[in-house]
Amino acid sequence: MGHSDGDHDDLSADDSPWSEDIWSDDNEGSLSFEDSGEGSDAESDETDAPAAEESDSSEDEVAPRNTVGDVPLVWYKDEEHIGYDISGRKIKKRDREGRIEAYLRNADDAKNWRKIYDEYNDEEVQITKEEAKIISRMLKGKTPHTNVDPYPDYVDWFEYDDKGHPLSSAPEPKRRFVPSKWEQKKVVKLVRAIRKGWIKFDKPKEEPNFYLLWGDETDTADNKRQGLSYIPAPKPNLPGHEESYNPSVEYIPTQEEIDSYQLMYEEDRPKFIPRRFDCLRSVPAYEKALREGFDRCLDLYLCPRTRKKRINIDPESLKPKLPSKKDLRPYPRTCYLEFKGHNGPVKSLSVEASGQWIASGSSDGTIRVWEVETGRCIKVWKVGGVVHRVAWNPQPDRHILAAIVDHDLLLLNAEIGDEEVQMRTKKLLHIEELAPEEEETGDKKPAVKWVNHDKFDGIVLIHHKAVSTVEWHFKGDYFTTVVPSDILYGVCHVSFLLFTCSMCDLGRITNIKIENFLVQDFDLPIAMSYSNGTSHSECCFFTLSLEETLNLIVIYLKKLANCSILNSFLITNKFDTFSYNRARCPKQ
Amino acid sequence: MPKHYRPAGKKKEGNAAKYITRTKAVKYLQISLATFRKLCILKGVFPRDPKKKVEGNHKTYYHMKDIAFLFHDPLIEKFREIKVHRKKVKKAVAKKNKDLADRLLNRPPTYKLDRLILERYPSFVDALRDLDDCLTMVHLFAALPAVEGERVQVQRIHNCRRLSHEWQAYISRTHSLRKTFISVKGIYYQAEVQGQKITWLTPHALQQVLTDDVDFNVMLTFLEFYETLLGFMNFKLYHSINVNYPPVLDPRLEALASELYALCRYMSSGIVPGNSESAKLVEDKDESELRLAQLQHQLPSNEPGALMHLVQESTAADVEDDDAKECSSLFKNLKFYLSREVPRESLLFIIPAFGGTVSWEGEGAPFDETDEDITHQIVDRPTQSHVFLSREYVQPQWIYDCVNARIILPAEGYVVGRVPPPHLSPFVDNSAEGYIPEYAETIKKLQAAARNQVLPLPSIGDEDMEKTLVEAIIDRSASNEVAEKKRKLEMLEQQYHDELKMEYEGKTYSHMKSDNQSDVVDNDSEAANNHVDDSYKQAEKDAADISKTVMSRKQRGLLEAIEIHHSRKKDKVNLLKKRKKNAESSASAKGR
Repeated sequence: MGHSDGDHDDLSADDSPWSEDIWSDDNEGSLSFEDSGEGSDAESDETDAPAAEESDSSEDEVAPRNTVGDVPLVWYKDEEHIGYDISGRKIKKRDREGRIEAYLRNADDAKNWRKIYDEYNDEEVQITKEEAKIISRMLKGKTPHTNVDPYPDYVDWFEYDDKGHPLSSAPEPKRRFVPSKWEQKKVVKLVRAIRKGWIKFDKPKEEPNFYLLWGDETDTADNKRQGLSYIPAPKPNLPGHEESYNPSVEYIPTQEEIDSYQLMYEEDRPKFIPRRFDCLRSVPAYEKALREGFDRCLDLYLCPRTRKKRINIDPESLKPKLPSKKDLRPYPRTCYLEFKGHNGPVKSLSVEASGQWIASGSSDGTIRVWEVETGRCIKVWKVGGVVHRVAWNPQPDRHILAAIVDHDLLLLNAEIGDEEVQMRTKKLLHIEELAPEEEETGDKKPAVKWVNHDKFDGIVLIHHKAVSTVEWHFKGDYFTTVVPSDILYGVCHVSFLLFTCSMCDLGRITNIKIENFLVQDFDLPIAMSYSNGTSHSECCFFTLSLEETLNLIVIYLKKLANCSILNSFLITNKFDTFSYNRARCPKQ
Repeated sequence: MPKHYRPAGKKKEGNAAKYITRTKAVKYLQISLATFRKLCILKGVFPRDPKKKVEGNHKTYYHMKDIAFLFHDPLIEKFREIKVHRKKVKKAVAKKNKDLADRLLNRPPTYKLDRLILERYPSFVDALRDLDDCLTMVHLFAALPAVEGERVQVQRIHNCRRLSHEWQAYISRTHSLRKTFISVKGIYYQAEVQGQKITWLTPHALQQVLTDDVDFNVMLTFLEFYETLLGFMNFKLYHSINVNYPPVLDPRLEALASELYALCRYMSSGIVPGNSESAKLVEDKDESELRLAQLQHQLPSNEPGALMHLVQESTAADVEDDDAKECSSLFKNLKFYLSREVPRESLLFIIPAFGGTVSWEGEGAPFDETDEDITHQIVDRPTQSHVFLSREYVQPQWIYDCVNARIILPAEGYVVGRVPPPHLSPFVDNSAEGYIPEYAETIKKLQAAARNQVLPLPSIGDEDMEKTLVEAIIDRSASNEVAEKKRKLEMLEQQYHDELKMEYEGKTYSHMKSDNQSDVVDNDSEAANNHVDDSYKQAEKDAADISKTVMSRKQRGLLEAIEIHHSRKKDKVNLLKKRKKNAESSASAKGR
């Protein structure tokens, strides 16, 4: 019985054309075949038995009942029969049930989900549980039966070994039975190689790897290293306290410090941050161990080595020995002379070239000339304004005093020395009638106006802005003035009465000095200016050639604190070397 | 014509002739860059810094003599042979000529480095001097995972392990270990062999990770040389203590991964197969005496000079051994037992090196945990379940600190479960550094106490008594110190007064009056002192500045560099002091 059942299953699975819509209908009723089938296993078998037998007989013995063939069933839609059986009789259609009836019947029947309407034979077929299982397997894309092996081992029934091609009918080649010449040659070669020891079959003997390499230590001449001198690589730094696994507290940086490392430059950042572990067992493997070993290797074979003298010197020994103050004694310690007379603070002092006279300018509005030795006040000018600076003409036979009073420059005849000198000085300062002439010729407004002083024997240079310093050339022919707000260098040649003004904008300049350089035959005054401010650490040199063009040489210096050194440097250099120096100085 | 122009055919001179860039050197040698590297590593050739870099600043220069040295080395030819051999094998495999390939693979061209070692280190001491890197590298590779398929062959790693153990066994046997230090990077050791201080680093016995950021070719080439070097070194050293070199180890112990112990046993047994006489020479001293006697026999009797020389030598050796004696007797009569979790290899190395006997938890150990004679058990776990009252339970750091201090430190700081006192580096010269950690000072006191100790205390079982004694000694030394400090202070004060007096004598007149006034008050008032001091300092500073302006630029730069260095050092010390202060204040705040 069971056996026939299985057969029937097979056939029905093969033959009955399952159309898609039938399945979709059925699926709604039965969610899964396996689950619902389980409970009603036994009874379903019994009840299904007659139907199964029926279908069995009909399908097995009487092959397809309807022999209508491969014809669309729609053609029989309006007919009373659905086709013909094997003997040519019509197969009547069954009476159609009403839908409601059918529904009610189906609702009562628990096995309804297994019933399928066979359109071809016009009957309802109830599939068995096994069939349902098969269908579910097929839906999953598996083989219908579980016992089918989809991938059986391939059995190759044909024996290929020593068979040759069964279809070849070529005659046996000669090489099959004649000894090969080439093989013989090869054998001869091998034999020769073996005889001569080119080919060795036994493995090389293992010699003892290590032996006493440094046998005799006494022979010093032999123990010398050949070739270039060996420079041993510097040894790696030994670890300090901070590298300990358990350093004392002070070596561990606080969290803020560690955070602050992030703000540092990468190269300044400490490579190693100390950590503290409570016990030895909690110390992890050092992850950079290999990397550090590798770096050391690189250092050993890639870094150039040189011998360097490491001087271990006391920094004090570097400083030159200066004589102590005690050794310089006796130096003046008591006040020898006091020049009394000024009512306000003295702002400027200047010593005359011969050293006999001192001029002083004070903020009380007076300029005084003193005799150095006696302290006697020779002359007093009440100029009526704050005297910022006084400067003697460095020529001993020209007693001209340049003073800056308020905004302007005052050239005064000091009226000292013998008659002749006084006269000459007066003459120099007196040919000022030409000044208006110059004024007429210059169309544009000049930066400086030369005017005879109305009160004293002298000249006033009226600048358009406040003057800060005045500086004489050492020959006494030129002087320069500085107007810091709007830089102006007034250059005048006193002896030739040639007045030129040159302007140059160079930033804030507070000080100026004229130096002279002998360039080939003619001497060319060179002014050096510098500002002591921190922002402009630069020094400018320019030639005060009395033409319109102003040759400017700027030298930037890192620090201008030591200007005295600079002076000496300048004085000792000739112009060409000087220009070389300029080229060497990097411009910022 | 520019200055550097040289007509064609004229030979180069000076730096241009003496030095050659790397690219040119490679071309000149007709080898690949990789081979050149390998050759340089093996031959120990390094770039040099010529005074004038003719080809540019960014290139590396080798000395022409070095390159010629490489050029004439047979190793170049050997490398070529290897290359050819590799090609032959490849070809044979490609042509499926299995016989030929096998035959070729059986006999690859090999080379030996012993000649190179002798060339680089003509005398043994030279080699000892350069041994640091070698040891560090070998120990590093010994700690790498011995896993098939990694970039380092398993055999190499095993070889490194063997070599490092052999070295450690020698050091341990001759008691030449001097300093140890557990750092985060690993454990540093410093030994003294033939007067040379040799420092090396062993990584912690944990699995190292092979990172990708290193070039293993370079490292393995170095290792190749170092392995050979260390092998020969070990041979020589073992030879010097009359032990056969490739040591034959107990296979059972070797299997249990306690090679070091096996080696120690091998060495102490001192058996030299085939030479029964030398089996007697266990102790170094005995051995040297015996040798001396033998030599005396051999010498003709009418040569007193030679004998004298020999005697002198032996006494010199004795003097040298003073340090060794101290080291070898540090842990004498102490018996250690290592728990499972402590770094066994390191301690098995250190403890015998300082004369102690040691056992461990595990198979093959010489004695058990239940042994009654054990004096110290090294434990590194928070709690101890079963406690033997007869022994002390200490953390492993105790051993390292004892070794560095060369005294047996009191163990209570290192008791199980407690955070041990800070572990300090023995390589730092505290006084030069300008900062002495607190614990260093206590150790110093303990050392002083131990030195002053008249009678040794090993026999006293009562710990309390020992403790009190030590404390008393500490107290005494502390009081001594206090007294000394007082004396110093007095001296300083005296000096200060003298200086002040000197100052008055050299006073300028303008200050005279005020100083005279202050002189009356001077002895008591600090403020006046400070004022005078300040002005004096100012004057001193001014004087220094004046001399600075007169210095040449080079000298000034040097001076400034030194000053910067000093100020940095000072800053560092100040930072340490500040941190210390903070820590102390926070601790006291917590205590409240």
